[in-house]
Amino acid sequence: MKTSCEVCGGEIDVPDDAIKGEIVSCPDCGSEYEVTEIKEGKPVLKPAEEIGEDWGE
Amino acid sequence: MVIVVKVGGSLLKLGPPENIVQDFVKMLEEDKLVLVHGGGYEVTEMAERLGKKQKFVVSPDGIRSRYTDKETVEIYTMVMKGKINSEIVLALQAKGVRAVGISGFDGSTLVAERKKRLVIVDERGRKVAIDGGYTGKIVKANSELLNTLLEKNFVPIVAPVALGTEGEMLNVDGDRAAAAIAGCLKAEKTIFLTDVGGVIIDGQLIKEMSVEEARKSLRKVGFGMDKKIMAAVEAIENGARESIISAGNIENPLTNSLLGENRTVIKP
Repeated sequence: MKTSCEVCGGEIDVPDDAIKGEIVSCPDCGSEYEVTEIKEGKPVLKPAEEIGEDWGE
Repeated sequence: MVIVVKVGGSLLKLGPPENIVQDFVKMLEEDKLVLVHGGGYEVTEMAERLGKKQKFVVSPDGIRSRYTDKETVEIYTMVMKGKINSEIVLALQAKGVRAVGISGFDGSTLVAERKKRLVIVDERGRKVAIDGGYTGKIVKANSELLNTLLEKNFVPIVAPVALGTEGEMLNVDGDRAAAAIAGCLKAEKTIFLTDVGGVIIDGQLIKEMSVEEARKSLRKVGFGMDKKIMAAVEAIENGARESIISAGNIENPLTNSLLGENRTVIKP
């Protein structure tokens, strides 16, 4: 599945077996997106949040 | 002076170690101490005994962490506050110390923001954002309860469970908890006792580092030590005077951390 990057317009290849929550990145500018759903065979993306690594004990 | 001592969970697998308890009691003759403990290993063990298989997730940087769902945070609190914290309090009481066990949420001592999302690498090797569970990042430390106890010559023993901003209990990293507490108390020293004797880079023990050097060293040390260095730096940035990463599995580990060889001192 292909879609385009909101930031640079580059082509993002989303794997056919992508699942909700999967993070994909633009090969051109590195922007990361989260797959929020797959609608009629097309991925719906939103910019991925910056999430730090502080996961407790 | 006020000293915050963090005792890592790796040192507590068999209960409060006598070498640390004895030296802690000795140090109380001159200083006001706060002890913060870890205990992840015991949480995992107890959870499995209760039939709650622990799930571990791996971050994109390869860091393996517990996945803390609702049931897990309940077991976590039960073990951290109910068992490990109580065992330390009792071990110190047995030596005549006026130890008081609290968790980070008592008196809103540690307030954390719940991590609503986590990014993990799944079994297919791909990055996925998942519900964050009940871990938190400490956003505020309040010194009021700790100072009240210290003024009355009680010794606070703190479990790393924080108060979430929505009133929930959260699993927080014990080293970061110690750093936050040291900062809010403007502690003279923050001592991180662990199962290795200080920061080792290329086979060499680093005896002293500036905060700047400590930050640069993060990529040269193994996982576990990098988190300790980050916490040691945070303690200073939060207002503590200096941090020491030191061996906890030797005789007189606290005296050694102040004067001895097996340690790394981090200064502003």
